[in-house]
Amino acid sequence: MEFIATVVILTCTYALLAAGIVILYKAGRVVNFAHGEIAIVGGYVFYSSGLMVGDSLWFAILGAVAFSVVMGAFIYAAMMRRVVGEPFYVAILITVGIAIVLKSAIIVVWRAEQVTIDVGVAPAVRLAGGATLSYMDLASIVLTVVFFLALYLFFTFTRSGVQFRGTAENPLLASQRGVNVNFVLSRAWIIAVSAATLSGVLYGGRAFLGTASVTIGLAGLTAALVGGLDSLRGAVVGAFIVALAQYLTVRLIDSVLSEALPFLILLVVMSIRPWGLFGTVEELDRV
Amino acid sequence: MRKQLFRRGITAAAIIAGLAGFSAAQAQETYKIGYITDLSGPLAGSYTPTWEGFELYIKALNDRGGINGKKVDVILDDDGLKADRAVAAAKKQTERDQVVGIFGLSLSSTQGPVYAEMRKAGVPVVSTFSGIGDALPPAQPFSYSTGIVFEIAGDAIGELGQAIKKGGKVVGMTIDSVGGRAALAHNKKAVEAAGGTWDEVIFPVATTDFTPFAQAAAEKKPDVIVGHYGSGQNLGVIPALRRSGYNGPYVVASYGVTEDTIRQAAQRAGSGENIYYVTRYSSSFDKNPSVGEVAAAQKKYGTSKPFSSMHVTGWALGKFTEAALKGCGWPCTREKLDQTIQTLKVDMGGLTGGPIEMSATDHYGPTYWRLYIWDAKDNVMEPKGNWIKKGSQGFK
Repeated sequence: MEFIATVVILTCTYALLAAGIVILYKAGRVVNFAHGEIAIVGGYVFYSSGLMVGDSLWFAILGAVAFSVVMGAFIYAAMMRRVVGEPFYVAILITVGIAIVLKSAIIVVWRAEQVTIDVGVAPAVRLAGGATLSYMDLASIVLTVVFFLALYLFFTFTRSGVQFRGTAENPLLASQRGVNVNFVLSRAWIIAVSAATLSGVLYGGRAFLGTASVTIGLAGLTAALVGGLDSLRGAVVGAFIVALAQYLTVRLIDSVLSEALPFLILLVVMSIRPWGLFGTVEELDRV
Repeated sequence: MRKQLFRRGITAAAIIAGLAGFSAAQAQETYKIGYITDLSGPLAGSYTPTWEGFELYIKALNDRGGINGKKVDVILDDDGLKADRAVAAAKKQTERDQVVGIFGLSLSSTQGPVYAEMRKAGVPVVSTFSGIGDALPPAQPFSYSTGIVFEIAGDAIGELGQAIKKGGKVVGMTIDSVGGRAALAHNKKAVEAAGGTWDEVIFPVATTDFTPFAQAAAEKKPDVIVGHYGSGQNLGVIPALRRSGYNGPYVVASYGVTEDTIRQAAQRAGSGENIYYVTRYSSSFDKNPSVGEVAAAQKKYGTSKPFSSMHVTGWALGKFTEAALKGCGWPCTREKLDQTIQTLKVDMGGLTGGPIEMSATDHYGPTYWRLYIWDAKDNVMEPKGNWIKKGSQGFK
């Protein structure tokens, strides 16, 4: 029971990260190497916003939402918009630059302080064997389900969602049909940053936020690549595979290998199925 | 026109020469030492308070007039917990800044390369926070430590842990580092020598979600768990252990772990019961005049981190540094400083159980260790028993 709970919670963190990476890839063919940094900085913003007003949860949420909107819109408007049509590696290099800047921000703004988000850390459910799940753990599961459900409803039933899918499919045609492609792409960044921030907050509730925590971005990226860079369903499956493999490595093989394992999985999947488990072959060929 | 150019050239040369002379004179007016540590990497939370304690001491010392009428100038560099950055900083400090000695240093994996490089340059290096075996007898030249050599810490914790549970099963947890593994090896030896059994869980340095590792440790059904790592890891491991259903004794090895970290971890875990702490230097809750002196300096000069035993550790290094520079005299050279440290015996006045004492072959000396227990009700640290003394022989 404890094993299942741990893997599910870890899956949720990675799935949220992977979802953001997939959305950005689908929308603009950008592989975001700054996702871990965005997640952890989002977590820090949540933490600091709450502290600013006497540990207020509402201000923390407000701060995290504001960060997601501003950061997402800013990255697109100030950087990504300018490289549309440029070779794909230009955008990738920009995300590497963003990662470095955000990691430096953790050092400069938060003095690399390791912080925890102590919201709902009290035990909520006692499992067989004495282990417990906190309210934050339960919130991880619920919020991840809600996030993916909202994404599904957005893409399937809303006009904006259809425009998004159209832009992902063929930006030129979408633009000719009157879709404001820039608006769609900036929204994709806002959604992706929101997902990353949510995962950063949940991660800060379970582990801690610090410069070392940005490595969760690699687990998210691996999950997205394993599942297929253009598949949200693949993001969830990829996240589950990475989480399960990490957990089993710690428990059954050698705990020290848990850090290298996501990359081993990635190498295996990429050598067998370079487009990922649920990815589209044609899409990846362009990369 | 030519005359004018000539005059301007002369004036510029004079200014440059003046400035150079001025800066040389300035340089000669102070004892220049280097300090390298991790202020931005994964273990910055552990290393920053130790640096702050050292800085407090130097500020207080300079306010008292310095040593032999000369101020102490500390060049601080951040290694970000990277060995290449630590070595580059050490080279910069010796070649450009002309320091007479280097103090501080971060994780064991960054210390080795710095010690090795500075041996070539003939610069004495004193690590304070944690240390690898280079300082232990037979010591490597120029390599000293006033901190926690993991081999000895592991041995001391193994012995002190017997006061919690005689015999029994102990599970040691650590990060995958040279020092962490050394601490586990010696902790294991001491536990087994006392009739107990041993098991261990090692996790990667960059781990930040400790749940699977805590579950693996709890599943081994230990009587005691010992954590050989820094602040951040304890902040994650203690709640993760309690979430995994392990509520037994947990021993925090004081590798940069502050009392505030324990308070936070206890709060997250939902209880501060059964948390122990083993340290080489006094807890900030100790009621002795030397700790009071550090607390007063902290109030006067301020620190970014809450007052902790790590500030006490840094302050102790400051005291050691003052004695070393005083013994070195004026002008102090690297060779003279090295010679001085080799025969140095510094009374710590209650900051630990006895003096810090070096010799030509032993660059670490005897150390003193104490077990504390966290009082969950009042959020304070209480000593449990007296200091024990550990020799430095036989750990290599």
